[in-house]
Amino acid sequence: MGESGTQRDPFALVAIVGLVAVVLVLAACSTSSELPELEQRAQSINRVVMCPVCPGESIDQSQNPLALQMRGIVVEKLDQGWSNGDIYDFFVERYGPRVLLEPPTRGVNLAVWIVPLIGVIVGAALLFFVMRLMVRSSEERPGETKPEVVLTDEERERYFERIEAALTADGPATDSGDRDDEDEGVR
Amino acid sequence: MIVDAGNLAMVVALLVSVYGVLGSFLGGWRRSSALVESSRYALYSVPILLLISVYALVHAFVTRDFSVAYVVENSNLAMPTRYTWVAFYAGNAGSLLFIAFVYSVMAVGVAKSMVRRLPYTLPYATGLLGILLSFFLFVIVFLANPLDRLAFALPDGQGINPLLVHFGMFIHPPMQMAGLVSVALPFSIAMGALMAGRGGRDEWVDLGRIWGMVSWLILTIGLLLGSWWAYTILGWGGYWAWDPVENSALMPWLAMTAFVHSIMVQKRRGMFRMWNIVLVTVAFTLAQMGMFINRGGPVPSVHSFGQSTMGWLFLVFMGATLLGSLAVFAWRSGSLKSRERLDSILSRESAFLTQNVLFLAVAFVTRWGTIYPVISEATQGLTITVGRPFFDRVNGPILLVLVFLMGVGPLLPWRRASARNVLYALRYPLGSALIGVVFLLVIGVHQPVALTALAVIIMGVGGIVHEWMRGTRSRSHKGESYPVAFGRLLAANRPRYGGYVVHLSIAMLALGAIGSSFYNLQRDIPMRPGETRELGGYSFTYLGVSERAFPDRDEGTARFAVSKGDRDLGIMSTTRTFYRDFRIAATRAAIRSTPLEDFYIVPSEFGEDGQTVFRIYVNPLVWWMWASGPLLALGTLLAVSPRRRLAPAPVTVPDGMGLARV
Repeated sequence: MGESGTQRDPFALVAIVGLVAVVLVLAACSTSSELPELEQRAQSINRVVMCPVCPGESIDQSQNPLALQMRGIVVEKLDQGWSNGDIYDFFVERYGPRVLLEPPTRGVNLAVWIVPLIGVIVGAALLFFVMRLMVRSSEERPGETKPEVVLTDEERERYFERIEAALTADGPATDSGDRDDEDEGVR
Repeated sequence: MIVDAGNLAMVVALLVSVYGVLGSFLGGWRRSSALVESSRYALYSVPILLLISVYALVHAFVTRDFSVAYVVENSNLAMPTRYTWVAFYAGNAGSLLFIAFVYSVMAVGVAKSMVRRLPYTLPYATGLLGILLSFFLFVIVFLANPLDRLAFALPDGQGINPLLVHFGMFIHPPMQMAGLVSVALPFSIAMGALMAGRGGRDEWVDLGRIWGMVSWLILTIGLLLGSWWAYTILGWGGYWAWDPVENSALMPWLAMTAFVHSIMVQKRRGMFRMWNIVLVTVAFTLAQMGMFINRGGPVPSVHSFGQSTMGWLFLVFMGATLLGSLAVFAWRSGSLKSRERLDSILSRESAFLTQNVLFLAVAFVTRWGTIYPVISEATQGLTITVGRPFFDRVNGPILLVLVFLMGVGPLLPWRRASARNVLYALRYPLGSALIGVVFLLVIGVHQPVALTALAVIIMGVGGIVHEWMRGTRSRSHKGESYPVAFGRLLAANRPRYGGYVVHLSIAMLALGAIGSSFYNLQRDIPMRPGETRELGGYSFTYLGVSERAFPDRDEGTARFAVSKGDRDLGIMSTTRTFYRDFRIAATRAAIRSTPLEDFYIVPSEFGEDGQTVFRIYVNPLVWWMWASGPLLALGTLLAVSPRRRLAPAPVTVPDGMGLARV
């Protein structure tokens, strides 16, 4: 692979074929298209509506009689041509906003969605600036920076071989500390 | 009699461990090696004492001693004897005793491992370990004593929640609890090193990493077992619901995952010293938060049966730990300057850092979602629910980026990479992902999210496989056969290759999660005996239900003849049990699991007229999730397994601190 372009690699071929086989098998297994559209919609609604008497469980997962009844309502309303939103509103009117497992995307409760977004953005920005800062402070001391060492695979392998040779010459298991238990050894 | 001995042992254990705490800190501070040593041995005696208490409690359960209040509350005569051996950790008080015992054993392990390698840090670490132990013992002795006696013996007990009487349940809760307390181990080592003024030396890193990974492994197994239990017994075809208690167990896991990675950077490069201590402190705080939520937190959950009123105590203890850690941190932070600096934003170091931040982001989002209903209730008086759709939608993408980093990170060079050599290092992973995507498209996977996720997984696996092949081939050039070369490769660099094995198992986990969330098929089908229906290529005939009445429960077992295509898959049976005393129904799903997909039948209700509604799932690839567990454990053990080393030379310690008996 690193060594020469012409060398055929049976390993790589096997690996890729294996991976592809896994994926093939995966994709072959099933698609949801077997179900009629209304039933798929009913399922997606059921997963968002909470069973009011079993905290945290959706009516899809709950075995409670109430959940069963609510599943029936969903099917009935869908048959009558209601939209998903209409059905959610219907349940919210009856049981209050807590009946939806997915918090509303309007009003004050938009916060529940926005805060994570802001958090992630701020975190990413902070991370970037800290790294920039760390890099810059190292550039300010040119005397301390060490020459860049980038090994190609080939060089790396030669390096490993030299280590191997040295180790076998020394006999087994010298107290290596833990220094050597990472790769490359570029220090 | 034996109950009294157990009680006495508990009290002595408390006294001894308080002595151990005081003696350790005082000895460390006054540099008295005698005091430090005696405190350490005091700590060593605690597990032995607690073993007596545990034995007493188990004895009470097995002999059905209904004069002990806790035994009455958590067992009855109908409980099978094999379960009485483990029933002692099913309730609050007994589980605390269990935690204290397991924790004391682990604490002794930590202390013993430190004697030679970290003599200066040892007293502070044992002191810190002892604080948590004393806390547990205090709670047990004064507030929740499982060995408290009733004024008179009762004829029978009340029994426990029947959902708990399940094989997985007898492993999942103790694992989970052990996982949560075990976060204290790396925390104590790190904080101890900091208190000893040796945080700037990287000597604590090896042991911190090893115990960190031990803790990580226990947490992971606890989570996996919990999911497996949910999948097989709760009968909703899923394994993770973003339930508040699940979340609270997940959060310390996330922080520990960040820690066991970033500690590698300190080990290798002497960087992130401050950060690692912050991470392990965060992990420990989250673990305590988990214990708090589990024992009477503010959020309703399916785990409510473990509740008690002592949650606040855990909260106070958590606050105290946090403040104490901050104080130590402020006092000693001057010693935590990095040895090396970051050379480039494109490097393995920064990949590690990014990974850390992302894991914390998932923890933050999860925390936020879990706590938001409480906030909303308090500020607007409006109860809203933040459930699974929210977490899936917000955490999903972050987790996907993490899987991506898992594939890329290990291939980046340390210190500095250029765009060119990054691309070069990634040529095989990217290549395999590309081929994978094409194939996926051809065979009809068009769902964009699933496609992206699968491509990322293929990429990660491609990278690992490529690394293994390269290493193996390079060894085999020297005449080793492929299997031998591969084995030696793994053994030669255990942290690295152990890490790859763990990554591979995480990829399996992700594969299962994606398959089952994007391609599952489910349908509620009403059936009468003799009817045959089809779903997802399976054809199943309902043979009928046989009902049996037991003293405490009614069982209905439905049997199916199942076939797929021309292949006969035999009989599958699913049981619904109704526990009359508890008015709880438990279902045991019929599951036929293959690497390809699970065929899953669960009854939702048996009707009077012989018609029963069955829920049928076809869950692709879930098998991979459970299969990842053993591999993950193997990988972790490989990563922490010590290398063969010569006996270490005796450490000479200046007088006044001759702590190490070497």
